[in-house]
Amino acid sequence: MSSSAPAAAGRIEIDASVFNPYSKDFIRDPHPAWQRLIRDYPLAWHKDLQMWLVNSHALCDQVLKEPRFTPNFAAWELAPPPKAEADKTDFDLSYEKGFFAVSNKDHLRLRKLTMPAFSKPVMGKIDAKIRDLVIECFDAIGEAESFDVYETIASKLPVRAISRMVGVPTDQEEFFHEFAVNIIKATRVNISAKEREASVALTKPGFAYFKAQIAERRARAHPGEDFLGSLVGASDNGETLDDYEILSVLFALITAGSDTATDLHTFAIHGLLSHLDQFELLKRQPQLMENAIIELLRLGSFGKMPFFRFATEDIEFHGQSIRKGQAIGVNISAAWNDPARYPDWQRLDLQRRLDGNLVFGAGAHFCIGTYLVRVQGSLMIQEFIKRFPNAELLDGTGNIDYDYKHHNARRINKLIVRTNQTSLQQAA
Amino acid sequence: MQKWICIICGFVYDEAVGMPAHGIAAGTKFSELPEDWICPECGSPKESFEVQE
Repeated sequence: MSSSAPAAAGRIEIDASVFNPYSKDFIRDPHPAWQRLIRDYPLAWHKDLQMWLVNSHALCDQVLKEPRFTPNFAAWELAPPPKAEADKTDFDLSYEKGFFAVSNKDHLRLRKLTMPAFSKPVMGKIDAKIRDLVIECFDAIGEAESFDVYETIASKLPVRAISRMVGVPTDQEEFFHEFAVNIIKATRVNISAKEREASVALTKPGFAYFKAQIAERRARAHPGEDFLGSLVGASDNGETLDDYEILSVLFALITAGSDTATDLHTFAIHGLLSHLDQFELLKRQPQLMENAIIELLRLGSFGKMPFFRFATEDIEFHGQSIRKGQAIGVNISAAWNDPARYPDWQRLDLQRRLDGNLVFGAGAHFCIGTYLVRVQGSLMIQEFIKRFPNAELLDGTGNIDYDYKHHNARRINKLIVRTNQTSLQQAA
Repeated sequence: MQKWICIICGFVYDEAVGMPAHGIAAGTKFSELPEDWICPECGSPKESFEVQE
């Protein structure tokens, strides 16, 4: 890739020797790189990634709340040229109608119309469905002496939870999983255009499935009170959601809630079992759970790639000239470990005051899947504590393996936990 | 007294309760909050709030 913008005088530049999110050393231990970025390069142009990197908590917060930095991929200087209307796929049309692409005014309208689908009564029904899934996962572990958190929980729960949320029947879960993986890959700017297009093509059957579901709901006298029904029936002063707007909500839910939740499960258990004092505290004070989820996400900091934003105009930002169309990597995982914000950033503190945290982003594009992630994480940890109160990481480390090729995360794909159930039974 | 909901993140500001931990006394109307006040959950501006019915 190459940037159309020439290097500007006075531009602070870095390269892969400072930050290489694909290196194995970084994936195993990102903190030396992040701390260097925060300290020496809170804002810099990354010559190899061809984007600005924003690394400190304060600057990430500003970028996320600044509407001139859009998440709309079409604003990127390296985005492929716009397609003719006739060539647009369902993916393209959903993206264009979605939260990331519409104007600020339309974004608020979309958020307002979709809010009832995320209301307590709708989510309450979903809680019960997710609880069943969590119990199924733990039942499958049974009385094993040890188990792999990734294999048994993290790889199974998140996409199944979203599929239950959107009403996909159990026998279609694999199909939905493929759809979700390709939706996510199709949105990544850090893979080649060819790979992105291949993923877009693979989303076609999934979009066809949901278009049929929406049509079926519209044909009913009442679209239903579940998540999809709430979207189909959404109305505000005569405004409703059209098919592609509904598909864009599914799109957003998948991108926000599946990959991230996978890593939540592994990193949450790893975080708790690496800080047994806090594990004990949570057992004694389960009311800390909501704070615990956010703090575990903060400590885990599993995103290796930043969030992407694109400049909609030339912007002078903290002494640097960001040109229209340039990409900005909002390195929120680094920001969550900024000593200026969290002096004891290495410590898991479930009672930490987390006001103004950026764990679910900030501003207009605050994570729409927050509730789902929190519920899923809480239910999983509650069940884990109930079943394995004396659990430990195998050999003190959990024998971690990483998927070094994962497109977005420092994905743990092996984490072994000793259940210590035998000692419990003997003691009894 | 009204309740106001942030349509970005769902945070509810209850005028009857205020936000004493943030220095906003019980009974403070939404309109009395400073113009640059932001949602404590997601950081969105006041325009992102609507009366909760």
